Amino acid sequence: MTAGSRSRPAVLAALALSALAPLALLLVASVGRDWFYPAPWPPSVTLESWWDAFRGGGRMAAALGTSLVLAVSTGLAGAVVGWPIGRALADLRGWPRHLGAAAAFLPVAVPPVSLATGLHLSALTAGVAGTAGGVFLSHLVPAAGYAALYFLGVFTLFDRRVEDEARTLGAGPWTVLWRVTMPMMRRQMGEAFLLGFLVSWAQVATTLVIGGGRVRTLPLEVFAYLQAGQDRYAATGALLLVIPALLMLGTVRLAVERAEATPL
Amino acid sequence: MTAPTLEVRGVSVPFGDAPGLRDIGFALDPGERLVVLGASGAGKTTLLRAIAGLAPLAAGRLTVGGHDVTARPAESRDAVYLHQTPLLFPHLSVFENVAFPLRIRGYRDSEVRASVAELLESVRLEGLAGRRPHTLSGGQKHRAALARAMAARPAVLLLDEPLSALDPALRDEVRATLLSLQARYRPAMVIVTHDLEDAAVLGDRIGILLGGTLAQLDQPGRLFRRPASLAVARFLGVPNLVAGSVSASQFESALGPIPVEAETPRGPATAVFGSGALHPDPCGSLRGVVRSVHHGPRGVTLRVDVAGIELEAAPGAGAIPDPGDEFSLGLERDRVTVLPGTGDV
Amino acid sequence: MTGASRRGLLAALAVALPVLVGVGYSVLASLGLTGPGAAGGGAARLAAVLGEPVVWSGLAWSLWVAAASTALAAAGAVVVAAMFRRGARTDRMARLFAVLPLPIPHLAAAVAGLLLLGQSGLLARLLASLGLLESPGGMPALVYDRAGLGLILTLAWKEFAFLALVAFSVVATRGERLEEVARTLGARPAAVFRRVTWPLLWRGLLPAVVAVFVFVASTYEATAVLAPSDPLALPLLTLERYTDADLTRRGDAFVLALLGMAVSLLAVAAHEWARSRWDRFEP
Repeated sequence: MTAGSRSRPAVLAALALSALAPLALLLVASVGRDWFYPAPWPPSVTLESWWDAFRGGGRMAAALGTSLVLAVSTGLAGAVVGWPIGRALADLRGWPRHLGAAAAFLPVAVPPVSLATGLHLSALTAGVAGTAGGVFLSHLVPAAGYAALYFLGVFTLFDRRVEDEARTLGAGPWTVLWRVTMPMMRRQMGEAFLLGFLVSWAQVATTLVIGGGRVRTLPLEVFAYLQAGQDRYAATGALLLVIPALLMLGTVRLAVERAEATPL
Repeated sequence: MTAPTLEVRGVSVPFGDAPGLRDIGFALDPGERLVVLGASGAGKTTLLRAIAGLAPLAAGRLTVGGHDVTARPAESRDAVYLHQTPLLFPHLSVFENVAFPLRIRGYRDSEVRASVAELLESVRLEGLAGRRPHTLSGGQKHRAALARAMAARPAVLLLDEPLSALDPALRDEVRATLLSLQARYRPAMVIVTHDLEDAAVLGDRIGILLGGTLAQLDQPGRLFRRPASLAVARFLGVPNLVAGSVSASQFESALGPIPVEAETPRGPATAVFGSGALHPDPCGSLRGVVRSVHHGPRGVTLRVDVAGIELEAAPGAGAIPDPGDEFSLGLERDRVTVLPGTGDV
Repeated sequence: MTGASRRGLLAALAVALPVLVGVGYSVLASLGLTGPGAAGGGAARLAAVLGEPVVWSGLAWSLWVAAASTALAAAGAVVVAAMFRRGARTDRMARLFAVLPLPIPHLAAAVAGLLLLGQSGLLARLLASLGLLESPGGMPALVYDRAGLGLILTLAWKEFAFLALVAFSVVATRGERLEEVARTLGARPAAVFRRVTWPLLWRGLLPAVVAVFVFVASTYEATAVLAPSDPLALPLLTLERYTDADLTRRGDAFVLALLGMAVSLLAVAAHEWARSRWDRFEP
């Protein structure tokens, strides 16, 4: 790089600040009591909002539970659905392959608001509008798209000769899947699950429309707190949205390391 | 007397925690080809990268055309390094790849065009100038990379296993291109390879890289006939190694006495010779029984049992014997090298 | 047709079906054939909605925010990828900090953006404590502002992490050896950057840049938290209409939903077209 190496320490410091400061701000805001303008620092602290988040029967606790159940089921279902779709797409050659990739790209690229309004009638017809099941299905659409795209990439690079070898050693198709392919893909299945988890975890538009406001996920409560001017609760909810995401940081870091280790 | 095109003196290169390369030295005249032979992991690539300026030296001096380039960055050494797999710029056409060295030197567009056209013609890629690298065949990529290297008009061309990854037909294509380009533009070349055949065909001189040093540096003829050490002989795959010992002025072994030069140290020693040194001879002093006959691409060799030692011999001019035949053999003494030590032969 | 291609095309259909159903329904509703406020076939609804200035100002505003935040994030990613590409400790730390926001949900980023950049946000408090600001009103509006600066900064911060991740991998996988080639061919560092690193980087980064643009143009969460009500960004306008008590206005939302999809698909198509013209990378 030609832009001087003297600026490296400054840029590194800026990166650290930019990564950590917003989280620190959320943390302070989530415990700051009577933190009125222009105090740069809250005069006293309270754990009230955090208490509410983990106390049974609390509004935030209920939303957290709903979000977790939705995200875990979406992650699992997304990986289970995405696997065979991605694998079948990876087997395509020529123009059908481009078509297949484009098809898997659709649910990912389509605006969530458009997806939500487009699917609302189907949900109403099926009687799942306003239910957690309906919201789960609406989260599954983009999650399955992400997982299918992910497995499309995985199986494009996958060396099938390992499976062939297992077949010639006497394993049937299901045995191969159960004892060879799935154990080899443990990490990839985990990543596909996390992908689906995060997609559901952050959904707002589909939850709003398909859930009709009756399925209260954590993001919806964060919106409600913001609209009510309850910044402390909103910040707490935001941090609760961040924490599982940060638990994934190890995974992301691994992905970075792998990207760097990829040979030409 | 003019300065050598490339001079490498006392060069040491660390690799990792290993001792790396130590005290490498040689000098090349314009248009000369030096092949550095070594097993994989011997540090061949490291040597080339160090000469190119892509790896740091621990000690030593490099001059190109008499100028000390030891401290210069890669771009001002006048030495082009070619990777084993041709690394063409994927975002540029074949034409622009070859034009790259000229563009960065600020040549006018008309000059670039003329020069690139000539280079592309010399590697027979004139019809593919507008193509992207990924649409080329393997051999075409190699030729394009060679043309691009020549566009820099380097004094020194450093080639990393240029033929190793290629199938036989492609090998000939790339070798021919390489030699014709060199005849035209006369760069000195350092070629590293693990392949004896490539070394024999390409090298004006061959250096053997063993244990981090140049164990021997010689013309191919001398190298294969007179390996400097047992280690070199083993590396070169000399087929016949016969253990014995040196006393007075001769080497004693199961093959009988062989006179040696006066300075040969006394004690355990090994006679080293190729299959060509041993062949059927009615007046020969050795008796042998044919164990097996091998037909290869470069003729026939015999495995012969001589005094309980299995040796490789050439069939000579007569009829090819059959396994079990017994006959007399002659050993050309002047094609035998006696080296100190016996190792595990 | 072989078994493999039949299976593959069925899989393609399965994954895209919900979207196709949604699109189909939106088209029918836009043409007034079905859905809330349906008034018989024809392009009347389409024409009416597309004739509203508020639609086009909302679309233009969304595109402005998407373009500005994507450009900021991409520029940052290129600079950081070029600066911190080696294996040293500082390089690895910089890469970690750069991608840290990657898994953070947009809504959480938006809450942090609001608390930092709002009229009584941390930035205003810090300026006030330095004596640079008399009252919250003295703070330049960065949130709910017509220019969308707060939203742009928040989205740029969030998307920078993703683009930096892609840029790091482009530089790491393709860059180094080609740069070495360029150097031994005589290119000085500046020429290496201009003729090799930069072209490789932007070509490798472009698909991710397009993806970010498409995503940001239609993102709801951060927009709902930080954007002004005039002009009303396209995703907000779409949901506002969809939740309107007036059934006719509710039906209008489908035209807006299709408009949003059209923007996404146009951007993707433009990128594909450009890519086929420039020629693809070696796989």
